[in-house]
Amino acid sequence: MEKRGVPAVLLMTTPFTALARNQSRVFGLPNLQAAIMPHPLGGLPVPNVIAKIDAVYEELIAKLTSPLPAPLVEEVKVRSEWVDLDISDEWGALQQEFMARGWSDGMLAAPPTEARVSAMVQASGYPGSHVVAVMAPKMGVATIECIAANAVMAGAKPQHMPLIIAAVQGMVEEQFNLYGIQGTTHCVAPLMLVSGPLAETLGIHSGSGLFGPGPWSNGVVGRAIRLILLNIGGAKPVEMDKATMGHPGKYTYCIAENEAALPATWPSLRAERGFAPEVSTVTMIGAEAPHNINDHDSTNAGGLLTMIGHTITETGQNNVNHAGEPLVLLGPEHAGTIAKDGYSKDDVRRAFYEDARIPLSHFSAEQIERRLRRYLPKRFKDRPLDTGVPLAQRWEDFMIVVAGGTGKHSMYVPTFGGTRSVTRAVLKPDGSPWLPGDFK
Amino acid sequence: MRICSPEAQLQPSKVTAVARPKSLQGLRIGFLDNTKPPADRVMEHLDRRLRESFPGMQSHYVSKNAASMPATPAMLQSLQDNCDVVITGFGD
Repeated sequence: MEKRGVPAVLLMTTPFTALARNQSRVFGLPNLQAAIMPHPLGGLPVPNVIAKIDAVYEELIAKLTSPLPAPLVEEVKVRSEWVDLDISDEWGALQQEFMARGWSDGMLAAPPTEARVSAMVQASGYPGSHVVAVMAPKMGVATIECIAANAVMAGAKPQHMPLIIAAVQGMVEEQFNLYGIQGTTHCVAPLMLVSGPLAETLGIHSGSGLFGPGPWSNGVVGRAIRLILLNIGGAKPVEMDKATMGHPGKYTYCIAENEAALPATWPSLRAERGFAPEVSTVTMIGAEAPHNINDHDSTNAGGLLTMIGHTITETGQNNVNHAGEPLVLLGPEHAGTIAKDGYSKDDVRRAFYEDARIPLSHFSAEQIERRLRRYLPKRFKDRPLDTGVPLAQRWEDFMIVVAGGTGKHSMYVPTFGGTRSVTRAVLKPDGSPWLPGDFK
Repeated sequence: MRICSPEAQLQPSKVTAVARPKSLQGLRIGFLDNTKPPADRVMEHLDRRLRESFPGMQSHYVSKNAASMPATPAMLQSLQDNCDVVITGFGD
């Protein structure tokens, strides 16, 4: 609003102060005016909330009508930084240094030496100074060299750079809402889904146990994304990343689509999104942790869709009140059973949209009145308590992906809600696709 | 040992906060609801108190689509067109 010439004041509680101050500085408004109250406001009885507001009422008026204090002048770093450290113990003292500087996810990290960073940069095909993106919440400039330093620390290999670059490009598209994902109290982490021929070439596992552990590259590539989010995006835990709990996928969260196990009549995710067969893709999804769906007994599509539909209809997920894209990862055996009964992927989407609904009566009275009826009045105002709440705004929004290996299990992955997934082709600097033959 | 910092340079940007009015008397006040409960109750309460303090005040409400999504350009334009100052919330 200040950019538009309208004075504004912010009301917030203490834990959000650092995030708000950072955002105001990043967006060039270091003398943001705010009235700050003790946490929380949410979840309190209304009279308690009113008392907290009344306590800052005069301050609020003063913040809108008093002359502004002079802004702090902050120095902005303008180029990559190489650091000389008087340390030779890579696995002891250097690790402590990484922690002290806030560069670490808490686990051992490889030193981003000149030789290692240079090999990463070279494998990318770009010059080290090339800017791939500017990443929220700190609006850090993701140069190839800086991405490479994080990839080295994560244990990724130079050939992984094209995947990592595509992931960074995807995460900064507006529809992904990286700022929301990085700063929220929700547990969301970007899930990196690799599709196409490069998955196998670059060691991104799509079969049994794909979420890990295993001697493949899912772990190190996903960890590179997390270190980039920490060190380039600047989402330091507690201070800037306000996750109430987070989830284990915030350390590393990378899998591949099992295209070899797709039923013959089902397209891959990248084909659905219009990519050519030779083009590999990376899809970034703002996702919760996966939740298992065990069904060893159903022998037909109807039975499986009933089991899956009842597992995914949980009330406390963001997909009930935002426009998200719930992700169902179908194990190959479940997918085969559904497809053999003639169901297309769109039929599965329609079934989830129409049948996997949560009765209003399953929500608390406060949730119904203060959220669903208030913010989604067209769908829920004055509707009876047996009205079904769908998990998406449209049937097309369900993401159906075949993944994993042997066994009668699938996974449900609720999303952050306030995000749309982004699929990016894995391309060379000249715009042509990276192909498996490029890595021989 | 010489290592590359994994931390990014920051993109500089600059905006100057606009000058404040001397009083809220006679002004149009905007309320941008971030949709985190109970933001609506907070805004309604402030609106009542401000009307008592500054008779004749006009208020203009805008609600975001979701707490985790930014206000749209149309929402911001509506506040710009209809308000002299804006009150909003951040976080829970």
